[in-house]
Parts: sequence; structure tokens; C-alpha cells
Amino acid sequence: MEELLFYTFAALAIVSALLVVSLKNTARALFLFFITLFALAGLFLFALADFVAITQILVYVGGVLILMIFAFMLSNKELLKDLQAISGKFVDMPNTQSILLVIGFLAVMIYGIVEWHQQTPDWITHNIKTKQIIQSTDNNIHQLGIKFMTQYILPFEVISIFLLMALIGASQLSRKEDDR
Amino acid sequence: MAELLIHIIVPIAIFGFIALFTLFAVYAERKIAGFVQDRLGPMETGKYGLLQTIADILKLLQKEFITPAAADRILFALAPIVIFAAVFVGFAVMPWGPDLLPANTNTGLFFIMAVVSIDAIGILMAGWGSNNKYSLLGSIRAIAQMVSYEIPVGLSLIAAVMITQTLNLNEIAFQQGVLAQEDIFFFGFWNVTEIGGILAWNIFQAPHLIVVYVIFFIATLAECNRAPFDIPEAESELIGGFHTEYGGIRFAFVFLAEYAMMFLVTMLGAVIFLGGWNTPLPNMGALKLADWTTGPFWGIFWTLSKSLFIVGVQMWIRWTLPRFRADQLMDLCWKIMIPVAFICMAISGLWRILVMV
Repeated sequence: MEELLFYTFAALAIVSALLVVSLKNTARALFLFFITLFALAGLFLFALADFVAITQILVYVGGVLILMIFAFMLSNKELLKDLQAISGKFVDMPNTQSILLVIGFLAVMIYGIVEWHQQTPDWITHNIKTKQIIQSTDNNIHQLGIKFMTQYILPFEVISIFLLMALIGASQLSRKEDDR
Repeated sequence: MAELLIHIIVPIAIFGFIALFTLFAVYAERKIAGFVQDRLGPMETGKYGLLQTIADILKLLQKEFITPAAADRILFALAPIVIFAAVFVGFAVMPWGPDLLPANTNTGLFFIMAVVSIDAIGILMAGWGSNNKYSLLGSIRAIAQMVSYEIPVGLSLIAAVMITQTLNLNEIAFQQGVLAQEDIFFFGFWNVTEIGGILAWNIFQAPHLIVVYVIFFIATLAECNRAPFDIPEAESELIGGFHTEYGGIRFAFVFLAEYAMMFLVTMLGAVIFLGGWNTPLPNMGALKLADWTTGPFWGIFWTLSKSLFIVGVQMWIRWTLPRFRADQLMDLCWKIMIPVAFICMAISGLWRILVMV
């Protein structure tokens, strides 16, 4: 049952992501992106990362995707025509560039196959032996909060300063000229 | 196998409840509107007009599917499903009684906030898919409003969660009555763990949580697109907003989603601030009212009565207050409610550190 669900989510993510980039209708592609994000959130759940899965929906679906759709709806019609007039070829590039791209991808895949070991890595087997694994009943949020406030305090603070900068920038941009 | 059967029966039961609730909420809404405006409301169909909404739904069910010729067929057909599913999924983590809830997760509250934001996508789908200026304008207004008001809702929930220290709605409900594991203090000085009742509710655990609940209530009213925040559906300006082109059962689903959303947010408010399934009656000496009125059936009864009471307040407000203008709406959100919510959040932090040690 769980395996079936996992493969359904995985297939959904891949198929919808492929459709997002290949659909001619930009509006439909944007709404389809929602399915991709949702399926990814489902996959996060299988990694016992429930907090990440919900954050994915909250931030990407509730925020980023809506902003993208808004930007699409409010943008110029002529600009959108340019976007939609893409040729139907799979790789729309000059031959020299596409050859480079293909060789690059091939190299990455060969490297992956060469480096791939059949057995599980040592650190995983070591952690299973010492019982340092997450159970599905654990309270992940509690752990996350403690880690954020101790081990990862610097990245956490940097992100909050970054968000504050974005907020101030946004309010500065949307300000009327005569308010100065 | 038995577990799978439960997983099928519980959602069907909740769906049945929502459908029944919507039917009678619409009836109640029209009766309240009639009372406020000094007229009778529905009175012809059945005794006191009780069968009016059932007749309405029967009419909606047998209507033809009409898709406008220029509409985006797929988006148009999917939108009502997405809108309803987003709200319906939220009920998965709502506690109805002590340990009586469909899914007991540690991320309950966070989950609800996430799935409610999916609702916005559904409304955009409906507005865009209808290919109608009024629908699109209505949906853009709705999204601008929902995205803005999600912030005070989120901040007020954070302020409450800083006091409860958990996102698990089941535990939050447990912390507000006689079954609590930890000590409960009325306004931080009087231990009411044994007394329970209304004194142990979250709004009385810290004085600023009353303000937080008011912010939560106003902001969720806007999240549901209810009057006085119903500019997305303003009949006089926009015909009907994002659901102008919908008819028949699709319209019924949009309507169902609106009422389900009302019930979801009132129930959420009841669980987080008003004690959830806990009784409002305190233990007084030998008169152990709180102990007597706590249990699975009492739990469902209190949850329902609290939520329905607040739904009633929402309806009362709808027929009493005039509609806000769009800029007043944004001013209220960004210039009043968000700063106050931030201050309450800061007070929550201080309260937790200094008072609840």
C-alpha cells in the first residue's frame, strides 16, 4: 500500500513536471505546477519529513505559486505571446550548444553509475546499529526547534535578516514618489 | 481491513455532517437575515420553511452542467473540486472529543494553515477558467484579501502556540480542562487545574490572548470572504465574483466549501482559544460540574455548540455591518491587525519566559 502510494506520487511529480515545461498554455502549466509541488510534498512525507512537506505546501503553493500566477495575469499580452511562440522541438538550441549539453548530461550519468555502490553507505549502517534513526511517531518539530536555536542559529538568523531586507525592499519599491 | 474501513467511514461521516451543516446553516442564515431586517425569511416550504434549503439543493442537483464556450474546460471543471477538497482536508486534524480525531499528528495546526492556503489556488482557477472579466476580478480580489489576511491569522496562531508549546491540536485541547497533564493558571496567578471549566480556557491563560482571539476572529472572517469582508463577491459591483459562471452542482460545491470553511475556522478558534471539547462549567466544591460534563459525547456536544455559536455570531455580523471598501480592508489588515498581532506575539514570548516558569 505504502509502496504503491510512493510510486504514484513519484510518477505524478515526474509527469506533471514534464508537462509543465512542455505545455503551450502557460496558465494551465502554472496550475499544473501545483500538482508537481503537491506530489513533492507527498514524497517528503515518505522521508518522515512532515514539517518540510507542510512548509513546501505553505510556502510554494500558498505563496510562490500564487505570486507566479498573479505575475502571469498582470503581465503584458504581447510579452506572453513571445513566451508562447516557442518552437515544438524538444531541445530548442543551435546544434553546437545542444551537443555540449548532451555530453554534459551523459558525463553526469556515467559518473553517477561509476560512483554508485550497491551496498548502503557506512554511516547509514552505523546509525542503524546505534539506533540514531527517526521513528514515524517522533515529534520532529520539537527536535527542529531545538536544533534551530542551538546548532543552526547562525543560518537561522541570516535567513531572518535576509527576509527583513526583502520586506523593506518591497515596501520601498511600492512606495509613492510624493511620500518622500 | 477494519482500519481501512474506518479510514473510509470517517471522511464520509464528516462529509455528511458538512453537507447537513451547510443545509441548515443556509436556512439559519436566511432566518437570521430575516430577523435582522424585520421580515420573515423562508416560511412557505415545510413547517417554518425548514425544507426550503433541501428544496434548493434538490433543484441545484438536477440542473444541467453549463460550461461557457470560451472557458478553459479543464480548469473550470476542476476548480470547485480543488476549492472544496482544500477545506475538507483541513477537517482531518480537528479534534471532536478527548482523543477523538481522525488524525493525531504533531503538525496539526501547521497542516491546517497549509491546506487552507490551497483554497486560494482553487479560487484563482475558477476565476481564470471562467474566462469572464467579473470572475477574474473577483478572484484577484479574493486572493489579495486571503493572502493578506493569512498573515494576521498566522501571527495570532503563533501567539497562541507560544503559550501552548505544541502544534498538536489534540494536546492543545487537552491543556485547557480538567484532563490537563500540566498545571493551568488563570491569568498566570491562580491554579485552576482542578477547577477547569471556562477558567481554564486558553483565552484566560494570559490576558492578551483575548485580543489575539479577536484578531483571529476578524481575520478568519476575511479568510472565508464573509461580510463585512465580502468584496470578492460584491453583488453590486461584480455580479457574483469568482463563481459567476458556475451553476448546478458545481455551484453547490463552491457554496459547500464556503460554509465548510466557516465551520473549520470557527472550530479551529474554539479548539485553540475556547477550550475545544472542554466544558465551560467549572468544578465548584462538591458540585463537580466539570468532571461530570467531560467525555466523548460531551466533547462532541461542546465542540458543536461552541462552533455553532460562533457561526451564529458570524451570521449576525454579516447582516449587521456594511461592506468594507477595498482600501479600507487592506488598511485594517496591514496597519492595525498585523502590528497588534506582532505586539501580542512579543507579549506571548515574555509571558512564557517571565510568568509561566
